[in-house]
Amino acid sequence: MFKLASRNVYRNSRRSAVTVAAMAFACAMMIVFSALMEGVISGSERNVVAMNTGDIQIHQPGYRDDVDLYKMIESSTQLSEHIRQAGFFSAERLFSFGLMASDNSSSGVQLRGLDLKYESTVTEIHQHIMQGTWLEKADQNGVVIGKKLARLLDVSVGDELVFVGQTADGYMANDSFHIKGILKSVAAGIDNSGVLMNIRTLRELMSLPDQAAHQIVIMRADRNQDLSQATKAVKDLVGIELEVMNWRQLMPVISRFLETAHIQTLIMLLFTYIAVASIVLNAMLMSVFERIHEFGIMKAIGVRPWQIVRLVYAETLIQTLLASIAGLVIGIGLAWYFQRYGIDMSSIAEGMSFAGIALDPIWYAELSINSLFTPVAFLFLMAIIAVIYPAAKVALLRPIEAIYHQ
Amino acid sequence: MRLFNVIFAGLFFLTLSNLVFADSDIDHAPRVQSLLNEIDDLWRGKSSYAVTSMQVKTEHYTRTMRMEGWSKGKEKTLFRILEPLREKGTATLKSGHHIYTYLPKTDRTIKLTSGMMMGAWMGSHLTNDDLVKEARLEEDYDASISFEGERDGQNIIEFTLIPKLEAAVVWGKLILIIQAESHIPVVEYYFDEDMLLARTILFTDIKTLGGRERPSVLRVVPADKPDEYTQFVYEQLQFDIDVRDSLFSLSSLKKR
Repeated sequence: MFKLASRNVYRNSRRSAVTVAAMAFACAMMIVFSALMEGVISGSERNVVAMNTGDIQIHQPGYRDDVDLYKMIESSTQLSEHIRQAGFFSAERLFSFGLMASDNSSSGVQLRGLDLKYESTVTEIHQHIMQGTWLEKADQNGVVIGKKLARLLDVSVGDELVFVGQTADGYMANDSFHIKGILKSVAAGIDNSGVLMNIRTLRELMSLPDQAAHQIVIMRADRNQDLSQATKAVKDLVGIELEVMNWRQLMPVISRFLETAHIQTLIMLLFTYIAVASIVLNAMLMSVFERIHEFGIMKAIGVRPWQIVRLVYAETLIQTLLASIAGLVIGIGLAWYFQRYGIDMSSIAEGMSFAGIALDPIWYAELSINSLFTPVAFLFLMAIIAVIYPAAKVALLRPIEAIYHQ
Repeated sequence: MRLFNVIFAGLFFLTLSNLVFADSDIDHAPRVQSLLNEIDDLWRGKSSYAVTSMQVKTEHYTRTMRMEGWSKGKEKTLFRILEPLREKGTATLKSGHHIYTYLPKTDRTIKLTSGMMMGAWMGSHLTNDDLVKEARLEEDYDASISFEGERDGQNIIEFTLIPKLEAAVVWGKLILIIQAESHIPVVEYYFDEDMLLARTILFTDIKTLGGRERPSVLRVVPADKPDEYTQFVYEQLQFDIDVRDSLFSLSSLKKR
């Protein structure tokens, strides 16, 4: 059967080659497309989670709705340590607002006090510097600021900034800072008004108590651990007095967008393959009609209709198999290239952001079992559906008519 | 609002006497005018010098600071913090509608931007906007006497001040109550645009200050937080003193 089928495929080698090439091309493109989508999705997820949000956050209940300087997590330092001992990464953060003035301009800012020892274990923001360097413990009055804020204040690395605000005990908070670094695009809030500094400096500036913070950010040590499970584990550690939420709960819009992005890939896959299916259908119809005479003889000598269906399917699947091998080779090659070097979309996507998160202007592909398997599986599925009609057609031929068919 | 001048300029009710009265009050107008004039005289001066302490009590902190201030005309005010040490030398200059603050710790002068106007002034219950809006009040309200006689065992006169239609003010109306005999202010109520009480200013501790009997304590109580207040206590008040215009300049902000 296989031998016969492969001989049939080989017999009209040009048409077979065109069909295989069309399928292989579609398959390769879809692999690249899925890999790119996968890359953008996980890139966005990384921007959300790894740049800022972390997996899980702890706040005083109500803090997120009403950002109040006094709504602090008491003894957050111990709590953070406790969470670390339970096998998570964890860091405290402190927030405050006020006015930051440069020589030429001033702007309202959000001060973000970071626990420098542990912040780098929960986020990658320290690697996201556009100019200058990251914060250092020794440099108490060094700050790293958002990209748009730097433009607004018309400042660059090394410049001085003066902060004016109000301390927790009602006095005037005033100090000067120098800019150590300027961040790349992270998220709208940080880009427009974020001033990052050492948590200790901020505590001192605002006269806030030691060992307390507004937020604890947690990252799973094992990335494969289920997020909901991890959230529950942290909840059990923390108790019910504090609000524990994971990033999907904190940012439902982005979470849903990323979830539906997979469906978008599938829809794209479907449309491309419908086009390919018509090519396959056409090719198989041609090859079947060409051989009606031959099929008639086969039926006349007692070949069962079911066997003929199998023959047509075997021919199709041989071609699909060839196509998927070629598609995989080309697709993996291209996707690997894009994974390595990325596509620079900065000319059209500069500073692009969605729902407050910045998208990386360079798109990297990401090869995964999913982005390889789905296009191939769909290719087979599509081929099988497309050939139903030609196969059924010849299976139901009446031998006498077929033999005399010209 | 006028508080800025109340505190540092001694120009308290000056603005009221300049009001244009509503038609229905034509008959009362001369009396309202003369009464308000009298209240004005309580605080009137071409220039002034004051030493005041400010106490702020909020849910989260209680603090006291002392400051001295000079004023000239309605437009120019300068004050400087004397205590606590932590903020000593911090100076604020109000010139027209602009506010500048000098920060001794960083040796910088900052002009308050519009974004900061609704921020609390020196941790008190007043906003920066309260300070700058003052000068416009005189054109913005219609005044009438809404009550006269005995209330709570005290002979009083009550004025109601309604903002004019075209006036760009944040208040819905003001009610001012004065003692009927001495014409010393007792209390002033500020209502928001929905005519709900927003804050109350109480005038107490009548003392001889600057050669006349005046309330020496002003307490501002926000209506939504009745347990909190900001209170100003006059220690010294002088009128018609000799001050140079150059005092109200950016360069004098820095001087001690």
